[in-house]
Amino acid sequence: MPLVLDDLMAPEAINDPHTYYHQLRELERVHWNERWGGWVLTGYDDVVAVLRDSDRFSSDRMAYLETELNAEERCLYQPIFAVLAKWLVFIDPPDHTRIRRLLNTRFTPRAVEQYRPRVRSIVNNLLTEIEPRRRMEVIHEFAYLVPLTVILELLGAPALDRDLIKQWSEQIGTFFFLRADEPRRREIACEGVTSLVNYLRPLVAQRRESPTLDLISALVACEDQQELTEAEIIATCVLLVFGGHETTMNLIANGVLALANHPEEWDRLKADPKLIESAVEELLRYDGSVKATVRWARSEAVVGGKTIKAGQKVLCALSAANRDPEHFPEPDRLDITRAPNPHVAFGQGIHICLGAPLARLEAQEAIAGLTRRLPAPRISTPTLDYHPTVVSRALRNLPIEF
Amino acid sequence: MTSTPVQLTVRIDPHKCVGSTMCIQYAPGVFALNADRQSSVINAAGEPAERLRAAAEQCPMEAIVLEDANTGERIFP
Ligand code: HEM
Ligand code: SF4
Repeated sequence: MPLVLDDLMAPEAINDPHTYYHQLRELERVHWNERWGGWVLTGYDDVVAVLRDSDRFSSDRMAYLETELNAEERCLYQPIFAVLAKWLVFIDPPDHTRIRRLLNTRFTPRAVEQYRPRVRSIVNNLLTEIEPRRRMEVIHEFAYLVPLTVILELLGAPALDRDLIKQWSEQIGTFFFLRADEPRRREIACEGVTSLVNYLRPLVAQRRESPTLDLISALVACEDQQELTEAEIIATCVLLVFGGHETTMNLIANGVLALANHPEEWDRLKADPKLIESAVEELLRYDGSVKATVRWARSEAVVGGKTIKAGQKVLCALSAANRDPEHFPEPDRLDITRAPNPHVAFGQGIHICLGAPLARLEAQEAIAGLTRRLPAPRISTPTLDYHPTVVSRALRNLPIEF
Repeated sequence: MTSTPVQLTVRIDPHKCVGSTMCIQYAPGVFALNADRQSSVINAAGEPAERLRAAAEQCPMEAIVLEDANTGERIFP
């Protein structure tokens, strides 16, 4: 086996994960990666089976990570663990069930629909400014502003602080997304977490004094009912700020790139805006923003004919599952009318993305606004540069002309 | 005092269900996980109509379809 297939961070894997995962899937759908020290799953059925089996596959990655660190490192990581260990995405039932239920009501498709007019107006205001320039850098001038503005308004955090919050959130990302290019990633992430916590704590205290209709007030009300602790509220807010915009920002950017590379699909969407829902599902499948997520086996399990031992970790490659030819005909073809399209870009099982309905809405409004107002763009850079992470499919920037 | 129960038919779209288990938490008398760990209807009349409706509303995928059993009218989504 060529050794490069064991290197999840090889430039080939970062720049073109789809080809990399095709090669790996052809070799072995359930593959032991010696270098990473865990199993890598690239087949649709195996990824779905593991993600739906939360009894045997734990999401408690902080517990796992702690076993990989020595005492001194554990101490250094403490500020990060204190918050991330309470993140919904990193906890198992019964705590997961309790917190997920409290939050779920606010994020159902019906509940988030009320934000659509607001999202549409944010998109339109941005585009009114951008349109006459005939060029933009998609990520920093457009893609991040839509979801970040929305999640801050939803939480009840002042929009004034947007740039600061963006910066702290990026700092957390160096840790969360396993950024290999950043040797100081632990210090940076600690700084990000601490700053965001210090920012949120007074906000939570203020809502405790005088509640409003925002999400922080709703969480504080749960605290009164002893359904949530203060630490859980703060951790949840950090997760929502962080998870609530980076991923959607990347989806919008990856989506613009995919459509710019397929101008016929851009024009098709422009001509028939009703296609926007299935178009966004296809963009999620084709080049979604979360490439993979990790579980560890609580007990021995057989997956795709291989025995996964208790305590071993498993990388569920969502991007690979989404292009599994056994499940999606012509998986490498972008088809904005693909149906059915049961992609796993938001995961599967009990941890299915809480923000999926909101992310869909935001991406629909962003991509619909772009295709309605602009002609198919050209990418104005010869090389695309991706952040070197296993988890996130994230361009550093995306300059376009139109 | 008795209230006339609304007769509902319940369906789950298997292309949409992601096995979140939300519906099972809200209406355990109606839904249970099948072998594929997707939700399935074990007893359409297993919960009062309000709970069934609440379960359908909590589904992150809107995979649960409710119809009036008598008129066939779509009630959710
Ligand atoms: C395109 C955008 C997004 C993508 C691709 C995405 C992807 C994902 C994935 C794959 C998971 C599951 C992780 C796992 O199973 O280990 C997840 C969980 C989660 N996401 Fe998203 N996400 C997006 C947007 C959002 C938004 C906008 C929010 C918040 C408003 C959000 C909040 C969350 C939360 C709280 C969880 C944890 C849910 C749980 O564990 O029950 N995400 N997301
Ligand atoms: S709530 Fe929806 S997605 Fe979750 S298990 Fe029930 S039907 Fe499936």
